Amino acid sequence: MSNIKRLALFFLGLGILFPFAYLAFLSFSGAWFFPEVLPGYFGLKNWKEILSTESDMGFSFFSSLGISLLVATLGTGTGFIWSKSIAYHAQKESWLVLAYFPYMLSPVVLAACLNFFFLKSGLSGTWQGVVLGQYLVAFPYSVIFFQAFWNHRTRQFEQLVLTLGGSSNQAFVQVLLPLAKGMILVCFFQTFLISWFEYGLTALIGVGKVQTLTVKVFLYIKEANFYYGAIACCLLVWPPVILLYLNKRFVYNRLV
Amino acid sequence: MKSKPTFGLLFFFLLGLLPFVAALIYALLYSLGIVGILSEGASISYWRQVFQSGELIGSFLYSALLAGIGVALSVSLALLVSMGLRTSLQHRFWSLLIYFPLAIPGMVASFLSIQLLSKAGFFSRISMKMGWIDSLQQFPDWINDSYGIGIILTFVLIVSPFFVILFSNVYQNERVSELSTLAYSLGARSNQVFWKVTLPILFSKTKRIMILYFIFLLGSYEIPLVLGQESPQMLSVLIIRELKQFDLKLIPEGYVIAVAYTVVIAVSALLVFRRREVQVHE
Repeated sequence: MSNIKRLALFFLGLGILFPFAYLAFLSFSGAWFFPEVLPGYFGLKNWKEILSTESDMGFSFFSSLGISLLVATLGTGTGFIWSKSIAYHAQKESWLVLAYFPYMLSPVVLAACLNFFFLKSGLSGTWQGVVLGQYLVAFPYSVIFFQAFWNHRTRQFEQLVLTLGGSSNQAFVQVLLPLAKGMILVCFFQTFLISWFEYGLTALIGVGKVQTLTVKVFLYIKEANFYYGAIACCLLVWPPVILLYLNKRFVYNRLV
Repeated sequence: MKSKPTFGLLFFFLLGLLPFVAALIYALLYSLGIVGILSEGASISYWRQVFQSGELIGSFLYSALLAGIGVALSVSLALLVSMGLRTSLQHRFWSLLIYFPLAIPGMVASFLSIQLLSKAGFFSRISMKMGWIDSLQQFPDWINDSYGIGIILTFVLIVSPFFVILFSNVYQNERVSELSTLAYSLGARSNQVFWKVTLPILFSKTKRIMILYFIFLLGSYEIPLVLGQESPQMLSVLIIRELKQFDLKLIPEGYVIAVAYTVVIAVSALLVFRRREVQVHE
């Protein structure tokens, strides 16, 4: 390997790891005034404060986790089941183009235009409203995602089970679900991330009452409280990193 | 499980399409003054006002420019990395590491940009320490700047890792390596192989995803909200600003922009995905 490639790889690795390292470093820092390159304090103070005071960071973390798990479960489950109807429909392509409409639209604009309905139904400012709002984005994604699964081969497997005397329930539980296991996990992961990373729609429908981690980060940016902001960012990025690792290590590699 | 295609389509319509249609109709009625707290009957005056003010066109062009530059830079950088370091990226360690940036959401990327690129940020401090600048004012204005440099750099930060992975996968799946070897054996030079073989294959397989990313960036919200300036604003930020303003009489103008943006997205979806077998995984 040439020296230029080694150098390029070094900078690539540095560029990838630097944001994660910087956020972690900032979360342990304090008294870091301009133009100092290193902070005046480095220790556990911020983390201790945030765990002991009324910052609600733990609550935000578990709110985000609960909402994202629910959106991912609902989005993947219903998307998998109902995507079949579209995949085998004679007008499949037209339905799919329609599925792209809500998926391509900015979630915050969709939420803004639907806000009236959320207010009227009493869902505005509730976690149920946030889950529904995020589901409206995750569901079309899931439907589009599973089109790759419902192909000719899958249909032949299903028909083989029926020909051999199996019921359609057996075909679904014992053949289709195991076949789709890898894709279901990937879709679950993707819809989890759609929800976990979502800010605009959550802030608008949650009206400040549902404070997920992304909402917290924005609040800390507005308050210029960068140390707490860095802690919220760490809590936001490390779970997906672990999921990415598990996804890549145990799911994706077995799919390809 | 019994196949119930009609019920499945009904469910998809109710939860996939109806909210979109309801949002569009409500926004359209509001923009025409038919519904709303201060509605005075049907009128196209709000539409006329928005188009006469030029804010919609300005915001649309500004958003399209930033999204276009963001995608172009991300694709170029991703091409450079994925093709230049192709063999190394196939190594187990690197093939895992290049996925890590996908875990950074827009809000965190914006936070990082403030921390690193602002006048009092980390790079400014390094520049001062190295003696490249003498005062805070000498560091370039990259955050909340008029050219949207901070927004573009943050777009590149979150989009280019995806394209590195995409190009690497397409290169392998389309057997570009074998085709390149064939081109070399027929006497092509490395320049010709890149421009006439590699690039056309990669672009033809990923052009729809590039367009999708352009549309996503066009409607991006949190990054321009944190890193943008007051005027011009990107579309989503402008729409939310208009809809949240205190003057209730001006809210229909926000819905005019929302309807115009939604129509552009719907037409784009029709143009990009019609008469084609739609697949997420290319």
